[in-house]
Amino acid sequence: MSSNVLQTPLARRRFLQASGVAGTVGAVGVGTGVIPGFSSLTEAKAEAPKVASETVITKSFCNQCSASCGIDVYTTNGRVHAIYGTLDNPLANGKLCPKGHYGQYILYDPDRFKGPMKRTNPKKGRDEDPRFVPISWDDALGIVAGRLNTLRAKGESHRFGILVGREWGKLNADLLTSFGKLYGTPNIGINHGSISADTVKKARLFTDGNYGYYSYDYANTNYMLVVGTSFLEAGRPLNGNMQAWGVMRSKAPRTKVTAVNVHVSTSTAAADRQLLIKPGTDGALALALAHVILTQGLWDKKFVGDFTDHGNRFKAGQLIDAVFSEKDVKDWKLAQQETADKRAVAAKKDAEKVAADKAKLQSEVDGLRQKLKGAKGDAKAEQAITKKIAILEQAQSEKALSEQRNREQRAAMEKGRKSEPQPVVGEPVFREQWTTGLIEWWNAVVKDATPQWAAGITSIPEHEIIAVGRELGSTRPAMVLTERGAVAHYNGVYNGMALTALNALVGAYFAKGGVGYHQGVPWGKLDVQPENFLDEYAKAPERKKPRIDMAKTEKFPLAGTVIQDVPRNHLKGAPYKMDTLMFYMTSPVFSSPESRDWEKAMAEIFVIDTSPSPSETSHFADLVLPESTYLERLQVNGGTPFQGYPIAMIRTPAIKPLYDTKVFSDMIIEIGKRTKGTMADYFKKLDNTEKIAKQMAAGFMEKPGSNGVNDYESFVKKGVWFKKPYGFRQIGGEFFEWDGLTKSYDKPMTAEMVKEKLFKTPSGKFEFKSAYILDEHYAHYAAEKMGIAQEMVGFPQYIPVKYFGGGDLHFITPKLATQSEGRSGNLAHPTALMQPSVGGKRDVFLEIHPDTAAKRGIEDGDRVRIHNEVGSIEVVARHFTGVRPDTVVLPMIHGHWGMGRWSKGRLPTGSVNELIVNVSEPFAGLACVNSTKVFVEKV
Amino acid sequence: MNFTYPTTIPEAIQGVVKLNTERNTTARIWQLSLVGLVVSLGFVLFMLVTEGHASFNTSSDGVNWGSAIATYVFFALTSSGLTFIASLATVFGFKEFYPIAKRCIWLAIVALIAGFSVLALELGHPFRMIWSVPFGMQIMSPMFWMGVLYTIDLVLLFAKFYLMWKEDWDSALSHFVGIAGFVAVICASGMLGLVFASLGMRPMWFGSATSVFFMLSAALSGAAAVVVTVQIAYGFRINAMPTALKALATGDKLPKVFATLIGIVLLFLITRIWVGLWSNVDGLEGFISLLHSPWFHIELWVCLVVPFFMMLTPSLQVSPKAQFWAASLVQIGMFIERQVFIISGQNVPMFKGTWAAMVTPYSPSVTEWALVVVGLSAMFALYALGERLFNLSAMPKHVLETNGVLARA
Amino acid sequence: MAKWGMVIDLEKCAGCQACTVACGMENSRLPGEHWQDVIFFSEGEYPNTQLKWLPRPCMHCENPSCVAVCPTGATYKNEDGFVLIDWDRCIGCKYCMVACPYGVRFYTDEKPLIAPDMRKVFPDEKGKASWSPPWKMPEDKEDWKHGVGVQPHDVVSKCTFCHHRVSTAPKGTVDLDPSDPKLREHTPACVVTCAPGARYFGDLSNPNSEVNKLIGEKNGNRLLDHLGNKPQVYYLTGPGGAVPGSRSMNKKGNGEKS
Repeated sequence: MSSNVLQTPLARRRFLQASGVAGTVGAVGVGTGVIPGFSSLTEAKAEAPKVASETVITKSFCNQCSASCGIDVYTTNGRVHAIYGTLDNPLANGKLCPKGHYGQYILYDPDRFKGPMKRTNPKKGRDEDPRFVPISWDDALGIVAGRLNTLRAKGESHRFGILVGREWGKLNADLLTSFGKLYGTPNIGINHGSISADTVKKARLFTDGNYGYYSYDYANTNYMLVVGTSFLEAGRPLNGNMQAWGVMRSKAPRTKVTAVNVHVSTSTAAADRQLLIKPGTDGALALALAHVILTQGLWDKKFVGDFTDHGNRFKAGQLIDAVFSEKDVKDWKLAQQETADKRAVAAKKDAEKVAADKAKLQSEVDGLRQKLKGAKGDAKAEQAITKKIAILEQAQSEKALSEQRNREQRAAMEKGRKSEPQPVVGEPVFREQWTTGLIEWWNAVVKDATPQWAAGITSIPEHEIIAVGRELGSTRPAMVLTERGAVAHYNGVYNGMALTALNALVGAYFAKGGVGYHQGVPWGKLDVQPENFLDEYAKAPERKKPRIDMAKTEKFPLAGTVIQDVPRNHLKGAPYKMDTLMFYMTSPVFSSPESRDWEKAMAEIFVIDTSPSPSETSHFADLVLPESTYLERLQVNGGTPFQGYPIAMIRTPAIKPLYDTKVFSDMIIEIGKRTKGTMADYFKKLDNTEKIAKQMAAGFMEKPGSNGVNDYESFVKKGVWFKKPYGFRQIGGEFFEWDGLTKSYDKPMTAEMVKEKLFKTPSGKFEFKSAYILDEHYAHYAAEKMGIAQEMVGFPQYIPVKYFGGGDLHFITPKLATQSEGRSGNLAHPTALMQPSVGGKRDVFLEIHPDTAAKRGIEDGDRVRIHNEVGSIEVVARHFTGVRPDTVVLPMIHGHWGMGRWSKGRLPTGSVNELIVNVSEPFAGLACVNSTKVFVEKV
Repeated sequence: MNFTYPTTIPEAIQGVVKLNTERNTTARIWQLSLVGLVVSLGFVLFMLVTEGHASFNTSSDGVNWGSAIATYVFFALTSSGLTFIASLATVFGFKEFYPIAKRCIWLAIVALIAGFSVLALELGHPFRMIWSVPFGMQIMSPMFWMGVLYTIDLVLLFAKFYLMWKEDWDSALSHFVGIAGFVAVICASGMLGLVFASLGMRPMWFGSATSVFFMLSAALSGAAAVVVTVQIAYGFRINAMPTALKALATGDKLPKVFATLIGIVLLFLITRIWVGLWSNVDGLEGFISLLHSPWFHIELWVCLVVPFFMMLTPSLQVSPKAQFWAASLVQIGMFIERQVFIISGQNVPMFKGTWAAMVTPYSPSVTEWALVVVGLSAMFALYALGERLFNLSAMPKHVLETNGVLARA
Repeated sequence: MAKWGMVIDLEKCAGCQACTVACGMENSRLPGEHWQDVIFFSEGEYPNTQLKWLPRPCMHCENPSCVAVCPTGATYKNEDGFVLIDWDRCIGCKYCMVACPYGVRFYTDEKPLIAPDMRKVFPDEKGKASWSPPWKMPEDKEDWKHGVGVQPHDVVSKCTFCHHRVSTAPKGTVDLDPSDPKLREHTPACVVTCAPGARYFGDLSNPNSEVNKLIGEKNGNRLLDHLGNKPQVYYLTGPGGAVPGSRSMNKKGNGEKS
């Protein structure tokens, strides 16, 4: 195993010899994974060790979210007993989020599959025991290959599919794509994006041309508006977010944070302001904020641009012409004249007043002089009068002096004052820099999106909206953060576009303390390319079949994936019925809307599960091909660190697989090898995962990482390759690239470069009027689906939110900070601290507002039934004043029935997804997981 | 029939063996409680071996000390109380109390043994205690002194009983042992109180009142215990009693002492609850839950107020049955008191936030209930044993005029 | 002769509970046996409900009431300021649990929070410890004299300030900074993993230590100071903030009907 490079454990004895020289300790400590300072552990301490232990640290990366923080896996005497963040990993920086520490529990989960198994009970169902019997890997892979070959023989290769969750990077992604191509099915690698957050990516594709997640420069931002995402819980990378949080809360100026959500959580409570919004109305809020920013002249003029006359024509409800008209010019001239006249009048008045004062003073003096003459002889009187005169004359001279000064100052000011730009007929009223369509957007949408209007829709008080708008507009740098929450609705894409537009208005794009995108990893090319192994069958036109989820078909022309529709389409037989489905890192039968449909479909389909441990999917599986847990795997990944700069990780086994398990990519290769035809040759050439990983890592030769990683060995040693910092920056409306020599952003970028690398829209700018949707392919579809006029489809706007499922309460099912991706349902340790806000430490509770509960006679701690048109589950309700009275919140965790011993025997009685109505947002095909309404009643 | 108490070991053993077959009150008590002891102890030991102390409903989140500790306190204080009653005669020379002195001492011994056995079964490592407490010498710990003093108490009780058995009532030694025992038991019960009273972070317990209350309520438990056993011993037949005892039982002295003690205890309870309810101090929320607990009201009204008036009513004062029932109720009341005092003192959790209820619910597990049975049955068995082996009604010649006839027919 | 202490900055703390989880991993704790816990409580009415939280390790008091009440000397305060438990002396009387105002102590043998009981799933074949999970800390780190490791049956356990890590720090260390590779392995687990960097650990007896600096500059305060236990854990609450003065913060109560 390649990890032997690492696994050169240093016995305590040997170590002590070395530890004499501090330098040696350090040297030894690096990479080889011996704990630094380990020596003192034996030297300083009186208690002699009972057992000589050999602790090895293996560099790996975390499996609990897509960010992939680097982890140090501590293995002693063959037991993994600790996981800590890797100190020299740019994501972890030696830290971890709670989930990072679960690895050893997953590794030693007593419910894990011990090896491949096949089902002997033909009947499938929740209450059916699969009656698995162990079989050899060779038999298992043979069975799969056999089915593939028969399907191909029947010309039905499209009826084989692989559904994936986290596919873990390019290696697996490429492997699956080529597998699909070579074998001849469109259904390989249908991923979970449509039950994740695809819509937010679409919203950005439509406006700034990038189909991806933002990267955020948290550490440098001074204002953060967080909408519909629990930044400090489900937000990714939680570890990175929290590291940034530490900086944001202690730097000067302290970053001000406004959180918008539907219930109080640690993320909203930690913020400076929390706003509890009506689900799905976030778009209205965003538009109102834009309205405030524009009407109050707070948009970023360097990035967005400005009125050519530097005025502000954004007046609530008022249209703005694109260009200046005769009238504009006339009005302007008149206005100029008026002001000029006013000035003249004022000046005249002043002059007169001054003269009058002067005269008055003079007359007094003269009067006194007369008196003086009269008072000749009376020395006392004379003295008094002369004194008075002196005072008055003093006053006179001072007045004169100050007038003199005023004159000079006015003159100076006049000189400094540049003449107001004169509007020219036909000239654009507003000259945009890096955006397009602002005025059109204003006229079509924003002019009427007043805070008052939004308050009525969102239930957020008008004054709060105005306050947030002012802060967002007047603080720099500022950013708007949104992920899934606000967009998992039928109107999701438009909510997302509106929120994205705010980032343009405040100039956050590619700015310091703003938002950006991710740079790719320079992976090495593989020496075998699938194209050269396509056989006639694969090339044949009959292979052009629609996907089972109907993504990229007339049904969902823009969607990347619609995994939640797979069972529905299969059951309808439209476009066709599936024969065999393989699952990797996803268990939609628990995690997909109307999850009961999956149970029906999977009863008919030959199901292959690859999870290391039991799940609802494996309960329906005909074949179980258990993968090794991530501490036993060799895997490479280009993560989504949400930090912009390119990064790639590798994990090598910290421990030999405890049981007879394989790495998924090796399973695919082995299946490929066993298929008939040329495709087998391709996979024989690929041979195994390690070989591929080595070829990919070869790409680092030309582009060594910031940590010096330049080949496979150093990659394995460090566990990570990365190139800091992010390559681009917008500074005051100009774009620059990072210069490695000067170590600064000083390479100016042309508009063409910006279009190519940053704003990949047709205009090469941020589009307040999306050309992408307006494209005739989609405009009609969009107009029809959203029920709006075709010319409107391009604008970020608020489309009244739709709710589904009947019921009178919104049903929101968030992810919690301690909830790992997939496995925590059977982990007792996380379960014991799962839901802190309301004390869920064994079960999870339904958050319900006391008034809402009282109306239904529900007391704190009562067992309740949640039900609607599609399903019904039972759970314990907790009174919580932190949830909207029109909403109930139940985390999407527990309610498992096929996951293992610790997942059973607790409420809720089923997955929250049994209640989520399977409606998809029309653009990304994202399941509208936040649009469901339910009834709640005491059991 | 003439009955003689065994004087030699073999006779004693014989006596014990007989006890299993004899058919009289004492024997029945012995047989029943022996069965109770075997069954309950068997169950507890089984649970401790299989489940360990996880078979208790105590929890680190709230109630750390459960019903077992309360049961121990109940027995320990009953024992102390009995010593107080005995001391009325042996220390303060109230001759009329001589007839019950020996019985009190014996009961004090058996109660303390019962208490210690319950405690031993509650402790994590009872045997480790035997060395780690003396070697620890934690003179700051009230519990350390509680251990020391109750051990001294037990030793002196045995000494006193031995002397009584030897018919030595008036020697200087006997007097000294009596006085020493009295002092020891004052300190012991007070120190048991201090175990709770010293904890500032437990406002329901904190303060000297707790120590004083422990002493006085101990006396009440003791009085109740002796009244009950006397009545049982003579099968509620006044005429069967020796004159001296009859005088005590039918006179108004014992009832009055009894009533006074009830009164004092009531006073303590009521003042404590009203202070507790009125104050907003964090941690006193326990008193609110106390008010909602039916047990507390049974204790207050049924087990204290009712007996109080019974013992003040001249007609009832002298009725053996009335005395017996009053005493029994009081004893039940005292048992409840130890429970609610210890539970409600803890069930406002320390810094658990949302993780725990504001007042953590606690009710004893089956094992914990079984432990109560262990204590009671042990006490009754040993009492019966004493009744059979020693003349618990023995008293100094000068007090003794005519022999009574114990209920053995 | 150090006096180890901790500072927790509540302004930075994100309430993620990584400290609790890391502690459970490092010290082989049972589910729910949170030596280091984060205490949550909420106040106020919609829409102005405030959710608050407070990490709660053992306070390692200067004047520990648990030590005062222990009848055997099993709980003790050592020369470096740790409050520890000698599992070979503890008789499991739980007096220390009753006497701890911060509720930081745990008794081994209780009903499992989450069934099935993990101790029965991973029993200790040798029958020495109360259980023996495969992920437990290496044997040579276990140290019952200082209450480190998987404890035996019927004793009381609590946060040791990661004694097995801290006590092996190079002599004379003042600040245990987890970003220093040489000190990292000697820093308490909760401090190492805390992502926002809300935790600081150092020598309170050294006037120049980082912890003393923070306590001085940012007005560190202690939990239930009026009880006089004098915790060696200080909280930074930011301007105008304060740690809760009440130990029973959950006025609403937990809905579990048990």
